[in-house]
Amino acid sequence: MNVDDPRGGSSEPIEDYLDQLLLTLTGSPRNVRHTLAEVESHLRDSAEAARRDGLDEIAAERLAVERMGSSLGVRDDTRLGRLLPLARRRRIVLVTLFLGAVGGIAIGVAGAIAGVARIVGGDRAIASPFPSGSYSAADCRRWMHLYPKAPDCVTAMTIDHAADFLRNCAVAAFGGVLSALAFLWLRRRWHEREVAIALPSSFEDLAVAVLSALVVVATMAQAADSFLVTKGVGAWQWVSLAIAAAATCLFFAVRLVHRLGRPRLSWVG
Amino acid sequence: MDANQLRGNLDTLILAALVDSPAHGYHVIGRIRDRSTGVFDLAEGTVYPALHRLEAAGHLRSRWEEIEGRRRKIYSVTPRGQRRLADDRTRWNTFSSVMTLAIGGETA
Repeated sequence: MNVDDPRGGSSEPIEDYLDQLLLTLTGSPRNVRHTLAEVESHLRDSAEAARRDGLDEIAAERLAVERMGSSLGVRDDTRLGRLLPLARRRRIVLVTLFLGAVGGIAIGVAGAIAGVARIVGGDRAIASPFPSGSYSAADCRRWMHLYPKAPDCVTAMTIDHAADFLRNCAVAAFGGVLSALAFLWLRRRWHEREVAIALPSSFEDLAVAVLSALVVVATMAQAADSFLVTKGVGAWQWVSLAIAAAATCLFFAVRLVHRLGRPRLSWVG
Repeated sequence: MDANQLRGNLDTLILAALVDSPAHGYHVIGRIRDRSTGVFDLAEGTVYPALHRLEAAGHLRSRWEEIEGRRRKIYSVTPRGQRRLADDRTRWNTFSSVMTLAIGGETA
């Protein structure tokens, strides 16, 4: 709000009113634009008439705004009341898909990091064998059958676990991409303002930042445990996840701070 | 004038203000105020949801025009809106007459 009027209050009452109205209006973007244009034209006419009656510019604008009444009065509450529950459900679907997309892709990135760690440090860098006695001879035969070049059962088991981890990461990444595509498609279909305002505009950023921070803590604890207890065997499985989660957390935390400093109406993206 | 009473009849007032010639929202409010000799002085913002509601119901149609250097949305009454106004007028006249009789007032 502009407050450089020496008498106190805003020096641009009409602009401020339109800003407030923009935050209040519901409906399609086109309807919102048209209503804003219509109301602005009305306010300018009204202010012009007040100026002709002898008021100065700011007083005339203030009178025009006063005559217009609360910005809530311009909104169609019946329509909002009808659409909000549906909009909220749609927004929750979008948030879920967004979290799925970010999570899946982040796990894919962790898989890529783990892949590099496997090339550098071998299978034991990203996978640890089961403790002895916790698997049967049949399990051993199955692993040896899958990896016949492995010198022993424990090595075959470790190769299998490493491959499992990378495969799971690839599947998660694929799911993340599908989720991202579904998110983008639905966001275009549900491009209504009701959906945008059903939850706070930066809700997704906050959710991703908080969840990924929790993942960082949990995976770093697991990595530390691996380094301390098993001398780093399988530790990079956790380290790779922690790196991907930390990068995700950092990205969305920065975006959240940036957006909080610059209020906006649109949602994710 | 009670605001709720006025709000309940706002659609009819708008249709009546527009039936003779098209106008934009600011003029509609001016016409309502003038016709009521200043008694119906409503919060101007409340007219827009009513205009949009009437347009959505097919009682009004609108077009954008540039007038005096400003884009304005001009509303006009559709044949459906004219029928609605005629119905509203009949209902109101009946109500008004019966109410006057019932409360023992005088007809204007």
